[in-house]
Amino acid sequence: MPDSPLPVVAGIGLRAAHMAQVRAEHPPTGWLEVHSENFFVDGGPALAALDDIRRHYAVSLHGVGLSLGSADPLDKAHLGNLRGLIDRIEPSAVSEHLCWSHVDGRHLNDLLPLPFTEEALTLLCERIDAVQNALGRTIMVENISSYLRFSCDAMAEWEFVAALTQHAGCKLLFDVNNVYVNAVNHRFDPRRYLAAISGDSIGEIHLAGFDSSAGCLIDTHGTRVAPAVWDLYRESIERFGPKPTLIEWDTDIPALEVLLDEAAKAQRMLEACHAVAA
Amino acid sequence: MQSLRDLQRSFCAATLFGDPVALASLGIVGGRLDPKARIAVYRNNVLGNYRKAMAATYPVVQRLVGASFFAAAVDYFVRGYPSKRGDINRYGGEFALFLVSYRPARELVYLPDVARLEWAIDQAAIAADAPPFDLEALAAVPPSRQAALRFSLHPSLRIVSSPHPVFRIWRANQVDQCGEDRVDLGEGGDTLLVSRGNAGVSIERISAGDRAFLAALADNGTLAEAAGRAQEVEALFELAATLRRHVAGQTIVAFRAP
Repeated sequence: MPDSPLPVVAGIGLRAAHMAQVRAEHPPTGWLEVHSENFFVDGGPALAALDDIRRHYAVSLHGVGLSLGSADPLDKAHLGNLRGLIDRIEPSAVSEHLCWSHVDGRHLNDLLPLPFTEEALTLLCERIDAVQNALGRTIMVENISSYLRFSCDAMAEWEFVAALTQHAGCKLLFDVNNVYVNAVNHRFDPRRYLAAISGDSIGEIHLAGFDSSAGCLIDTHGTRVAPAVWDLYRESIERFGPKPTLIEWDTDIPALEVLLDEAAKAQRMLEACHAVAA
Repeated sequence: MQSLRDLQRSFCAATLFGDPVALASLGIVGGRLDPKARIAVYRNNVLGNYRKAMAATYPVVQRLVGASFFAAAVDYFVRGYPSKRGDINRYGGEFALFLVSYRPARELVYLPDVARLEWAIDQAAIAADAPPFDLEALAAVPPSRQAALRFSLHPSLRIVSSPHPVFRIWRANQVDQCGEDRVDLGEGGDTLLVSRGNAGVSIERISAGDRAFLAALADNGTLAEAAGRAQEVEALFELAATLRRHVAGQTIVAFRAP
């Protein structure tokens, strides 16, 4: 199965609000990422727009609803929809999250935290294997933000993530913002996280903004990337080498130029990192 | 130690239903925030996601009742009507059904039908595409065989009927609608055809005969049978004009000879 063939440059998350402008202007961005589920449709203008986008850009399909960590069986219909979209779009990368979303058939449609236990680790490895077999390709899984921890945890988050990428045969979509948010929310040194991760396992990096409310940081994807997260990003690519990097923005979506500006900043850091490596 | 399934069940019960026993059983590590406050972050996120998704599907219902009333209705709806898919965009098809018996909205008798119309619009936008109608092939069918033709309707087609003037209510509550368009609830009901053509989703009022005609075609009836059904409810039903309009509007997308 191929490695992530995303170009090692900065890209942006494409949302409906910017679709028309991106199609009309083809702004210079390395690649685009969309949420897979937004295109789980039979037809219509949204799917036609994505077909058009794909003719001009490398596209990454980022899923939010497969629920790899549910004790419930894997949702075969969801997986079938994803398979259909992959066949149609021929994306450069396919990713999902290290989380769960449904129990007893009820979807909560959110990225919910797993306990860091052997049971969860084993389940995730089985599910990722099943998904990769069904899709016939390697997927990436993303570390999520969380607002609580369970006392039954048998290991730290970074140990869990490192073990998973070692045993599940998938790549890691390393979300630097989520590492920072969790470091603040759960009081750990984010450098311990970086130290546990192997650069070879990382296929993509995500950057986004968070908000602060009710005594914890919330991963809203609604602001610019925070200075502390930029610092952690620079450290990450210095340690892991340059990786395809995405700017995500999902709430209070600003002008496209703001996203492109953030992506340009990431691109400059990637180039500086390339220069040092060369 | 509880199983992963039990933990996920308890998480759901604590988040959506505020179940204190489930919350305690989760073994949430406290710290600066207590477990209740931490679960509340998830409750706000989960319900916030549903409110946002439902507001995108039902903007007119939201406008009619106001944002806070709408949010409360969605919160209540979510608990009783579980989401069955990992795709939140497709959630909420039973909202009209829910609104029929949602007591705080009982005086807004037209609200469930407005919700049905908005759901039909939402579904029409994502229905399968259809190739353009082959007019030349139709023209080549000898007149003697036309009555036996069967027609396929566009996959986006939905019909919404209501004893209330839901089309005027819907139009008066579009964001680009300024001015004080008042709708007289006593002015009678609507039968609406919702479909998607090249220009996007459109809504048009159709007659009782047209409705019967399309229903007959959808039931795989022949052109003659559909025309007969239309004339039963509408003596002056104009077959040729109706057929032309539906072909031009891409409501009818293909035909099959016997």
